[in-house]
Amino acid sequence: MLEATNALGNAVLSTGGTLTDPSAAAALAVGLAALGAGYAERGIGSAAVGAMAEDDDLFVNGLILTVLPETIVILALVVVFIV
Amino acid sequence: MSAAGSSNPEFVVARVRARRGQLYGDEEYRKLVRMTPAEIARFMEESSYEAEINALGSRHGGVDLIEYALNANLAKQFEGILDWSEGALYDLIARYLRKFDAWNVKTMIRGVYTDASQDEIEVDLIRAGEFDDRRIRRLLEADSIDAVVEVLEDTIYGDPLREAYTAYEESDTLVPLENAIDRVFYERLLENLPGSEPVRQYEAFLKAEVDFRNATNALRLARSGAEIDPAEYFIEGGELFTRDTLARLARNVDELVEYIGESAYADQLGPALRELEEADSLIAFEHATDAALLAYGDRLGTVHPVSVTPVISYILAKEREVENIRAIARGKEAGLSADEIESELVIT
Repeated sequence: MLEATNALGNAVLSTGGTLTDPSAAAALAVGLAALGAGYAERGIGSAAVGAMAEDDDLFVNGLILTVLPETIVILALVVVFIV
Repeated sequence: MSAAGSSNPEFVVARVRARRGQLYGDEEYRKLVRMTPAEIARFMEESSYEAEINALGSRHGGVDLIEYALNANLAKQFEGILDWSEGALYDLIARYLRKFDAWNVKTMIRGVYTDASQDEIEVDLIRAGEFDDRRIRRLLEADSIDAVVEVLEDTIYGDPLREAYTAYEESDTLVPLENAIDRVFYERLLENLPGSEPVRQYEAFLKAEVDFRNATNALRLARSGAEIDPAEYFIEGGELFTRDTLARLARNVDELVEYIGESAYADQLGPALRELEEADSLIAFEHATDAALLAYGDRLGTVHPVSVTPVISYILAKEREVENIRAIARGKEAGLSADEIESELVIT
């Protein structure tokens, strides 16, 4: 398994090095940021739904808090423009 | 609603926190102790107990109505918590709520033993545990203790009850059966707890509860001077006592008080112990253990916000509220004054 990963890495690097390409790295950065935001929203979202189930008035607060981590993705998007 | 898969503490904790806000505070209790039972029922109808009071109002009245509404509400809330929670969280909460299963089984066995009617037994049940309605129905339909034991065959109570049943047949007293149920509950409570930090806090709380229960039992035995073997009533899992120390200390109240006074619980129980020595009253000691557990439960709720501990904290607070309201209603029925009732309440 390990040798195979090594071989794969060598192959990727020798055929032009996709990961050393700035726009590919930026894409990866945005993707990872989105993953992080998604994970954060999972917890907040389920808590918000729980709170809303008890009290309907919390809908707006819940919605705002749930999408707050989305800012991480927007900040990460900045990277795309500066590379 | 199962013990498989990942757990969802965020959802459950959010709901439980909202419910916690609806519990009665100092202000409400002060009002309640000055009301008559009918007024208390009215007051409850205007708060979170509305559905239960309305549902039971046509069949019961007075203090009974309050008591049944409290039990029904408690059961509904705790069933809800079990319904929402999944995975490891479900397992941790179910451990504690199984005490209502144990209570229900004991109620049924006692009911069958005293030839109580099905309805009489049913109103005394608190359907907050793990048993579903079908099993409860089958238990209610059981007309002998043997039949009760048979219905429970495939649960955790099956084998221990079967063993205890032979002892029951020999002695014709319920003690072996009741002890068997309690022991199963407490064994399951502390068995194979996972090792994360919030769970350790929870475990510490459970151990404190077992210790306090042992201490109270020992004090009662020591004061009554009855010729009962204290080891019979010993509950495993606590840290304060071993079976031998408890058996030795339960013979002498002074030594026992001294032993508890030097233990890790001295800070919380110290004043109550002094009162016990002076006034010779167990009530203060029992209230002190309750208050210490409740204070610990409140702390549990804030240290690890997204874990099992706030849920347990809510369960404790809710149980306490139900006990307080019941104490107020029963106190009023017995004609106690507001001050006397207030001294019976445990409020943090």
